[in-house]
Amino acid sequence: MRFFTTVVAVLSSVSLYVGTTWALHESDVGVVDWHKHMVGIPLSGSISTSPSFHLVNGKNIILTATTNNVLAALEPEDGSIIWRYIFDPEDRIAGYYKNATTVATLSGPGGAILRNFNALTGELLLEKRLHKPEIGALSEPLHLGKDVVFAPHSNQMYVLSNGCTISCIDGSTGEVIWSWTSPDQGSMVIHAKLTLSQSTLFATGFAKSTASFTLHATSLSLPTGELNTFVNIPSALADPLHQFILLTRPDLEKPIAIWLEQGAFRYVALTPDLLEKPRSVKGEGFARLVDIGLSEFGYAVVLRNDESSFVMRLEGMVGQAKPVWEFDDSKASEANADSRYAGVLDAHGRAHVSRVYWSHHHEKGAFDVFTAGQPHGFSTGAKTFAFNTKDHGIIGHVAVGVPDSAPIHLITTSTGSVQLWEQETLKWEREESLAAVVIAEFVEVPERATSVAGVMEEAQEGFVARVIRQIGDAQDFPRYLVNFVKRFATGSYASPSSPPPPPPTTSNSSEPEPFSRDTFGFRQLIIAATAFGKVYAIDSSTGTIVWSRVLGLGWAGQVGGRVQPVKVFVVKGVSEGGDVEVVLVAQRRASNTLVDTVAFHVNALTGSDVLGKSPDGEVLEGQDVIEGPLVEGYLLGGEKKVIVMFDEHLQVYLYPSNPSTIDYFSSVAHKLSFPLRTTIETRKRITGHQIQLSSDHHKSLAYPTWTLTLPLGEDVQAMIPQAKSGVPVASVGKVLGNRTTLYKYLDERLFVLLTVVNTPPPPPPATGSTPEDKPQPKPSHSQKCGIYVVDGAKGTVVYHAEVKAPGTPGANGKGGGCQVKAAFSENWLVYHYYEDEVEGGSVGGSKGYRMVSVEFYEGRKGDEKIMSSELTAYSNDTLNLSTYEQAYVFPYAITALATTSTKFGITSKDLIVATNNHRVQSFARRMLDPRRPNRKTTADEQEEFLIQYDPLLPNDPRRVLSHNYDVANVQKIITSPSLLESTSLVFAFGLDMFLTRVAPSNTFDVLSENFNKVQLVLTVTGLAAAILSF
Amino acid sequence: MARIPIFFLFLSFITLTDALDIAGKIAWNAACPNATTLGQARASLNEGAYSGGINSRGEFTIPDVPEGTYILSILAHDFYFDQVRVDLLPNDTLPEIRPYVPGTPLDPPSSIVLPYPIVLSARDKFNYFVPPESFNLASMLANPMMLLMVGGAGMMLLMPYLIKNLDPEALEELKEQQSKMSGLQSALQSGDFKAGLSSIMSAVDDQGQSSSTTPSKSGSSARQTRGNNRKAKR
Repeated sequence: MRFFTTVVAVLSSVSLYVGTTWALHESDVGVVDWHKHMVGIPLSGSISTSPSFHLVNGKNIILTATTNNVLAALEPEDGSIIWRYIFDPEDRIAGYYKNATTVATLSGPGGAILRNFNALTGELLLEKRLHKPEIGALSEPLHLGKDVVFAPHSNQMYVLSNGCTISCIDGSTGEVIWSWTSPDQGSMVIHAKLTLSQSTLFATGFAKSTASFTLHATSLSLPTGELNTFVNIPSALADPLHQFILLTRPDLEKPIAIWLEQGAFRYVALTPDLLEKPRSVKGEGFARLVDIGLSEFGYAVVLRNDESSFVMRLEGMVGQAKPVWEFDDSKASEANADSRYAGVLDAHGRAHVSRVYWSHHHEKGAFDVFTAGQPHGFSTGAKTFAFNTKDHGIIGHVAVGVPDSAPIHLITTSTGSVQLWEQETLKWEREESLAAVVIAEFVEVPERATSVAGVMEEAQEGFVARVIRQIGDAQDFPRYLVNFVKRFATGSYASPSSPPPPPPTTSNSSEPEPFSRDTFGFRQLIIAATAFGKVYAIDSSTGTIVWSRVLGLGWAGQVGGRVQPVKVFVVKGVSEGGDVEVVLVAQRRASNTLVDTVAFHVNALTGSDVLGKSPDGEVLEGQDVIEGPLVEGYLLGGEKKVIVMFDEHLQVYLYPSNPSTIDYFSSVAHKLSFPLRTTIETRKRITGHQIQLSSDHHKSLAYPTWTLTLPLGEDVQAMIPQAKSGVPVASVGKVLGNRTTLYKYLDERLFVLLTVVNTPPPPPPATGSTPEDKPQPKPSHSQKCGIYVVDGAKGTVVYHAEVKAPGTPGANGKGGGCQVKAAFSENWLVYHYYEDEVEGGSVGGSKGYRMVSVEFYEGRKGDEKIMSSELTAYSNDTLNLSTYEQAYVFPYAITALATTSTKFGITSKDLIVATNNHRVQSFARRMLDPRRPNRKTTADEQEEFLIQYDPLLPNDPRRVLSHNYDVANVQKIITSPSLLESTSLVFAFGLDMFLTRVAPSNTFDVLSENFNKVQLVLTVTGLAAAILSF
Repeated sequence: MARIPIFFLFLSFITLTDALDIAGKIAWNAACPNATTLGQARASLNEGAYSGGINSRGEFTIPDVPEGTYILSILAHDFYFDQVRVDLLPNDTLPEIRPYVPGTPLDPPSSIVLPYPIVLSARDKFNYFVPPESFNLASMLANPMMLLMVGGAGMMLLMPYLIKNLDPEALEELKEQQSKMSGLQSALQSGDFKAGLSSIMSAVDDQGQSSSTTPSKSGSSARQTRGNNRKAKR
């Protein structure tokens, strides 16, 4: 016995240092994993954030700010990312401003932070905070009241922030040379735009008057920032954002402010003394002035009331603006949709203005590019391009570039696709809505189907025919034999680290072969639904998009609206045979505030509508399920897969709803229970529900059975269900070194509840307080975060912990609040939080992130068994459990976490986290074992492979799954079993997409990579030869 | 107009008493020679409540940090940086910088005070990969399969010489055993289990007889000691 334990101890220590590292080889990069770099959907709301072409030192790049708060530069040749800079979520980009070689941005409240980037490399040259975020004025739209202009011959820039402060800043050091704040700040004037002339800086803005806006102009002395004068120009603008523009030309001295007043043009030239009087131009019926990014070169587009448009140019020394080109056929009509306008200056300094629209008549996109020249310029005339509106929605924004002589268009669509069209051909496209994926789910796919038709034929043929066919086939035998020997001797078998097999090619038939899995089940489909009304199926082995469908709006198509995906359910899996089907449950929010719940039922392999309503290639229309919002939805996974949904009145809706599913539901309804969050008289509660079947034609109703009332001031932050995904629990217990068994406390109904506790500042006489509730030294530390594990059928609190929320939010509004992240799987709970408390903190009083690992076992000690997995919720034994927990110092803040899952659940579960330094990393379960002893391990513990407790979790870079990839802003991680028990697929999405495989206990079920087949064959032949020869 | 300078004076006054800007620099070294290799990185106090971007010269400024104790860490994708502890004390114009080891208690603080502005440099670049196992003749030969094969072949070749060199008595014994074993094999092959068993038994008996002396010896010695004990008790 003694000998045995020593051997085990030695073995365990050896295996600790040898066996734990499962790591990537450099050659595996791109083979076992893939990564999609994204930038997000361009913000097309304003000219200062929307995509534009920019010529830097003779190189054309595309610049854009995006909805994911990223500033990016794209390569016009192939659409790759040249660089991107990811801003913090609190630090919203208000606009980017281009110079010959640099790009400046203003971001944060009121444009609090100025940054300057090298336009070609994205290097951050300058970061300067202009004012405290707290005093930042919020503006709607965000870009209003912010502007940057660059001094033409020096490194200085003039920055307008907060709508009232103008600073002159040195572009390399960030030194403020001068600063001027509007004296009547807080009044009704908001400055909007800066313009430079010889020695004067003009700031134009709007002053709110009773019914409209008045134009306001300020003139500052350029070298010193002294106020020359300011004036309210007599004017009445109804819509200052769309009816005002400031035009300048490099060769003209005076900037001209142009605006529309009751459909007529008025303009005023700006001089340092601001004494010029506004004048009117004859003619009326003008509706809008469109800034096409050429206002510094004197161009703008004017729309009349009937939507017909023309290009306007600032002309001559008098400073008048004149129409130079009228776009043909631009009137609003049945044949064409609304036009988008864009402008650009080419390398020769010629202006190009493009009009792009959707032609209902041709069912194609159309563009018309005007090129300025003498005397009036010329246009390409309307040309069409094959824009696919059924796949990409409508044209939302257009940018034009002229790298050579031919114009190229960058189109952003309503579904988030970014496309570059060179004349009539599509050069590249980026599906940027994948950076806005809301939900994603792995779907297993069937094996490659052997041709059913062939088998049928063989069954029907006669004897003679069969013999003839087989003789014919026998011709191939020698070749087969040669191949067999060759494969036997040298051939490689499918290996987990071999590159993904090429997608099934169309061998002879024109029909594409259905999507099928590979040997190890690494090829699955990821069904991902985006916030922009599109659903994608992504090949998990390569990351290519297999199919995508635009989600239809149904009746709301008339009024507009959007579809917000809520859940994805696999209603027909591989095991049930036939096609794999998924249902996407979404909420449709129509623009008239009506909310409906819609189900989209598709074939997961092809994306075709199972209901047969919408043909392939068209917009996918769903089926309205609930006339109202969805409160909760579940999939019943028994013999029939039925989706159960509840509306606001907790009425039950089934999908699909037919007699057989209704019967099935009524047979299992009494067993169902589910928790919901409710608020009764400002007290937050979690209420458990069961279902009352209706005997008549009314809908079945859910009724409350239990409530968990949270203490006053405690608010529910999140309810996290158990990570199940149909993975079985392989072992129900754990045998300890002393030969007793700890049985896992397994309860499928358990869920995790995260709360925020806003305790009011403690009153001086602390009534009924526990010693922990001592009056805090800092009143700001009154927020706590609660972590509960609750039984969903009875409301029993199995585990409860409270951690202090980190102190007051920082200057940028970040930090503070409860940022607890938790994952729960089987009997294992892990949660991550920030420990700010210096005095008496749990891990040696040190600040930092903590990862707490909690395990639940049946009974109070070993060998107690209550069969928790089969226990009814009403048993008295539900609380007969013991909890083991241990806190570890964690090196990073995290954005998401998940545990791995494997086919049979035998492999140990690793923890996968996405850190805030853009990595996806795995942590071994063994390191997170809460039973790690606080002293030297005994022989018994060594036998269990327990390691001595060390507060610091090892941060092994070789466990960084995402290695060199920059996987930014991961929102969620999902894992899926593959057909290999050892291997789990890990998919992380957020801004970027990343998929890899992990083998937490090494790949024990495949040949190791250093298995040498040649050696084996040689040995066998050698032995055979030896036996034969003797 | 005259009000503006007063307003700014007031603002700067607030800045002096209430909060400090924390400035620092990344010193480029062999591990991380420039901003391009560093990539987008931030200097962050505590859990990112206060932070500043690192610019192309490696400099960072974290504006308006109120008094308190903070841990400053550099958030970079590929590089490992030391953490430092930053103490902003009331009535102090400069923060106190101390080294900090993650997971250690903040109290008592380290006695080493680092200069301000903070200068940090990359400790190391993370190495995410393990080198693939290259083909190694020694390891191939150390393979048990290979050892068996080589050993077997060696025995096969050496056997005749071994037998030749044995002394006649041992050779006789060996032959006897071989014949017994072959008898056993043939018996088993022919299905005569009884004969096979008896041959095994006889073989075992033979061995038992040859080795029976030792246990009896030890048994007698045990008895003797027990007898001695008894004697001593008496």
